[in-house]
Amino acid sequence: MFAKILIANRGEIAVRVLRACRTLGVEAVVAYSEADRESLAVQLADEAICIGPADAKRSYLSAPAVISAAIVSGCDAIHPGYGFLSEDEGFAEVVRAHGLTFIGPPPQVLERFASKEATRRLLGAEGLATIPGSNGMLRDDLHGLEEAERIGYPVLIKPSAGGGGKGMRMVRTPRELEAALKICRSEARAAFGDDSLYLEKWLEDNRHVEVQVAVDRFGHGVHLGERDCSVQRRHQKFLEEAPTPALDEAARNELAERAIRAVVAAGYENVGTLEFLVDPAGNAYFIEINCRIQVEHPVTEMLTGIDLVVTQIRIAAGEPLGFSQGDVTLRGHALEFRINAEDTAHDFRPSTGVVERYLAPGGPGVRMDSHLFTGYEVPPFYDSLLGKLVVWGPDRPTAIARSRAALDELVVDGIVTNIAIHQALLVNDTFLAGEMTTNLVDRIGSAAFLAAAAR
Amino acid sequence: MPDRAEADRLADHAQIDGLADELLPALIAKLGATGLAELEVREGDWKVRLRRSADGSTAASRAASARAARPAGGHLEHAHPVATEAAVDPYRAAATSPAVGIYQPRPEISSGSRVRAGDRIGSVDVLGIPQEVVSPVDGIVGAGLVESGDAVEYGQELAWIELISSTAERAGRDA
Repeated sequence: MFAKILIANRGEIAVRVLRACRTLGVEAVVAYSEADRESLAVQLADEAICIGPADAKRSYLSAPAVISAAIVSGCDAIHPGYGFLSEDEGFAEVVRAHGLTFIGPPPQVLERFASKEATRRLLGAEGLATIPGSNGMLRDDLHGLEEAERIGYPVLIKPSAGGGGKGMRMVRTPRELEAALKICRSEARAAFGDDSLYLEKWLEDNRHVEVQVAVDRFGHGVHLGERDCSVQRRHQKFLEEAPTPALDEAARNELAERAIRAVVAAGYENVGTLEFLVDPAGNAYFIEINCRIQVEHPVTEMLTGIDLVVTQIRIAAGEPLGFSQGDVTLRGHALEFRINAEDTAHDFRPSTGVVERYLAPGGPGVRMDSHLFTGYEVPPFYDSLLGKLVVWGPDRPTAIARSRAALDELVVDGIVTNIAIHQALLVNDTFLAGEMTTNLVDRIGSAAFLAAAAR
Repeated sequence: MPDRAEADRLADHAQIDGLADELLPALIAKLGATGLAELEVREGDWKVRLRRSADGSTAASRAASARAARPAGGHLEHAHPVATEAAVDPYRAAATSPAVGIYQPRPEISSGSRVRAGDRIGSVDVLGIPQEVVSPVDGIVGAGLVESGDAVEYGQELAWIELISSTAERAGRDA
């Protein structure tokens, strides 16, 4: 096991990783930017080190700053959290070159899975059905138009790097495609420093279902079931749940087993998530793999009782998994609500300010992962996630009932939040029937969605 | 320059004050917005050059490295420090770390050395690459706050620079 871990992230995930380090009895150092000097992670940490100014490019995204901080503070491993440097194989390689361990897949594994388009072919060869898409990256606009014609509109433009919906656009016509390619390219360049794009066939009414896996260095892997992330707004997930209401138990098991077989065969290592689109007939198409701990990982922790961050750290330290598929049991139903600093009344624009009052909800099956506290000032430089409310129940209706109570109890005064959209979902017939598709909120319109709930 | 007329000196002071108060803030904003590494403006026979350090820090946060210089004969010892940190304490300003790493003071600079704003007083070693530590103001190097070879974090105060303008020279001018 590591002696000391540098946490190179911020917000709720820095707090989450810090808790995992404490659970393992490993010392942790929180690396922070000037804008996060007063953050909860810095306050809770035994040790914290300022790595740069608010601008993430010079702090959380600066490989030299992060690695230098790890070295001067005596750490032997770096936990990148999610976003920032978490899936940057170049960073992982430099971390290793400095004699440190990157907590995540080893650099050569990250490299193998770095290109989303190449990964689709790799896992396609290991027996996963993949969605029709472009052959390789788009060389230019003309190549994009030709490939879209071959695949058939509508198509989804996707960046090879990154995630979080940035640089993604669905287009229905060649004219839309031409315009959107430019936007996606600049968005991808700004967000990930890589503007290569590819195309995927757009499935109209699809569900987003993802399988959580954990594979140790010795090729021993388990799946930890799936999560449904179909509740999205502009390709951004904001509510996740497990098990997915889209598939029955047999279909869920089959999907998860196919996923774990494929990634073990392809040489994956550490925790990861395979994302699938599920069409109305229940066919699952592999779209991409996330080689990091995900925002929505607590949903799986609620069902399995397994600490995924601890598992991730232990695997990176070279320990065997220590349990097998038969030891994994999935109990009950869990929902996760992303609480964002977004103004639902004004097109979800990000909000900032000082938290005048913060009260986390409680009760059976209720977990709040957040970096908020009364008096905390939300800085304007980073993403809008304030925390995650995760609720478990023995069945979906109980989990939903507990969620309603918990959302009512949650107080975040002083900051405009998206709590209203969650409350609207929990009275929406389509959601209650378990029939959400990824395009539903956008098709109805967020405003109409909120208005319907208010009646 | 014993032959300089009092009137000339006063005119120089007024010009420098004008540059520091009016021109510098605008230049700093411009440098911050453009991403340029260096800006140079000539006004009359004065020249103002703003330089962004090699690590790419913005002029706004490192306004302290702004430096006014006259081609020849000028003296700017009392040019107003533009750094916000410097403004807090009228007698001294801290040179801060540009990065997280290991601090190495310049051997030829020690307590009592006279430095000008923008002068390199040491470096912070980031994975073997030195990042300049510069004096934010014209002054005299005072107490060191960290030792050579110490680990330092971004923004950490490394050494005091005692302002000369705030004491002797100001008193002299006011007399």
